[in-house]
Amino acid sequence: MSTITLETVSRWYGNVVAVNGISMTVAVLVVLAVVVRVVAGPGAGYHAVVGLGFTLALPIVALLAASAVLGPEIDDGSIVYLLAKPVGRHVVAVSKFAAAWVATLTLGALPLLVCGLVMDAGDPGRSLAWTVGAALAGTAYTALFLGLAALTRHAVVIGLIFVLLWEGLLGQLLGGIKWVAIGPWGEAVAAALSSRVEPGPGTGAGYAVAAAAVVTAGSLWFAGDRLRSFTLRGDE
Amino acid sequence: MTDPTAATPVGRSVIHDLGYRPYTGPRLGEGAIARALVLTGFRNAFGLGRSGKSKVLPFTLLALNLLPAVIIAGVMALTGADELPIGYAEYASTTQVLLGIFVAAQAPVLFSRDLRHGTIALYLARPLRASTYALARWTSLLAATLVFLILPVVVMYAAALLGELDVTDQTRDAGKAVLLALLLAAALTGVGGLIASWSTRRGFAVVATIAVLLIGNGIVTAVQGIASDEGATMVGEWAGLFSPYSLYRGLARVFGDGGDSLAPPTSGAMQAAYAVVFVATSVACVGALVWRYRRMAER
Repeated sequence: MSTITLETVSRWYGNVVAVNGISMTVAVLVVLAVVVRVVAGPGAGYHAVVGLGFTLALPIVALLAASAVLGPEIDDGSIVYLLAKPVGRHVVAVSKFAAAWVATLTLGALPLLVCGLVMDAGDPGRSLAWTVGAALAGTAYTALFLGLAALTRHAVVIGLIFVLLWEGLLGQLLGGIKWVAIGPWGEAVAAALSSRVEPGPGTGAGYAVAAAAVVTAGSLWFAGDRLRSFTLRGDE
Repeated sequence: MTDPTAATPVGRSVIHDLGYRPYTGPRLGEGAIARALVLTGFRNAFGLGRSGKSKVLPFTLLALNLLPAVIIAGVMALTGADELPIGYAEYASTTQVLLGIFVAAQAPVLFSRDLRHGTIALYLARPLRASTYALARWTSLLAATLVFLILPVVVMYAAALLGELDVTDQTRDAGKAVLLALLLAAALTGVGGLIASWSTRRGFAVVATIAVLLIGNGIVTAVQGIASDEGATMVGEWAGLFSPYSLYRGLARVFGDGGDSLAPPTSGAMQAAYAVVFVATSVACVGALVWRYRRMAER
């Protein structure tokens, strides 16, 4: 299991396009935080920058990480060599998840901590709360997108529609979506950890953690199950 | 009877004239090839002429994009309102996420597949230059994006006219929206096409395009928000130059068609800069596309 994870991690970091694109995005975010801190002083624009990282950069990093650990191998068919190994399919799914999860945490959640600390060094508790929330949401996002990648070739577009339309556009219009969207769960946890994260979406940290755990475990099981009955298809 | 499998004796073989004739009709040149390529590309962008599965996504997005316009038309008809609840140009910035996903998801259809599968060599074996190929592909995506952008405007315009709103006003506003749509579509198509021709893995191209378009827009919006909080309006105006969406919002405000730009360009020079940067982005992206395909053709 650890071999698959390590190999996938090294492949992921070896993928120039994915890593360059994401590192550039993250770097721009951190540079933005530094510039705002220098120009506008501590605390100013904190919510705008961290909110951007949380609602947009984090899910996109998770989406890229999850689809990059499975998608290319399914595309070029080399996944059959992996599946032919005497390793359980659920083990393969969990190993792939571990690789994507490491990428999401290091490139999605960690930069939030850096941004937060740069912009408001006086209150590390707030930045830490956002980071813990981001780690929770990032975990659920990664698992969900991995399940999608095992299900369909169009996982990336469906994932984008989930994040941008369902959580983003509709989430602003229909308050009830907070119960069935991953981003608000992370915010709920962040709000529970620090009183300066406001306003929390109001689902309660207990529900948020439980729901994220259910989504993560369910998606992972589903991904393993899809790999169990895997058939190679042609391109479109 | 002779044995059919027996070899013809040496010296007895003949060549029969079966009457095959070469093609003597007119041979169409580069222009005709380019026109055909633009048309098939446009159809392919909506999944027409491809498998049923590939029609699902573009038409779902198109339907979602049209839905608010149809609802507006319905509300206009039922309530007899005397103005549209949303400006023509404002519509595109409200549904910018759908637009971004459409361009990001359909650009690889036109720009990645021929490069990834090597079929580009078959196209270039015809009297078709790599630069013409690139321009034809870009035109296809531009046309598809324009359909995506202008269809809601047409629906709302029809609703407005049927609701007996002032024809002159509505025509002027809709015309401005179409002009802005042209600028936005050209810029988005350039960015999406360039990324798709660079990263030929479909998934990566989609995410990278979305990251550039939407995170770029998010960063610009954040900067503009902070700048207006701090009272530095010039910073907000300058920041608006860095994303197609914020350029669009800024120019929509200049054209006086509502919109939600946090920092619309105020001075004449800045407004001109918005227009110039908008056009220059498209031109630069198309230039890079042509250059990229020329280099691919040399290999």
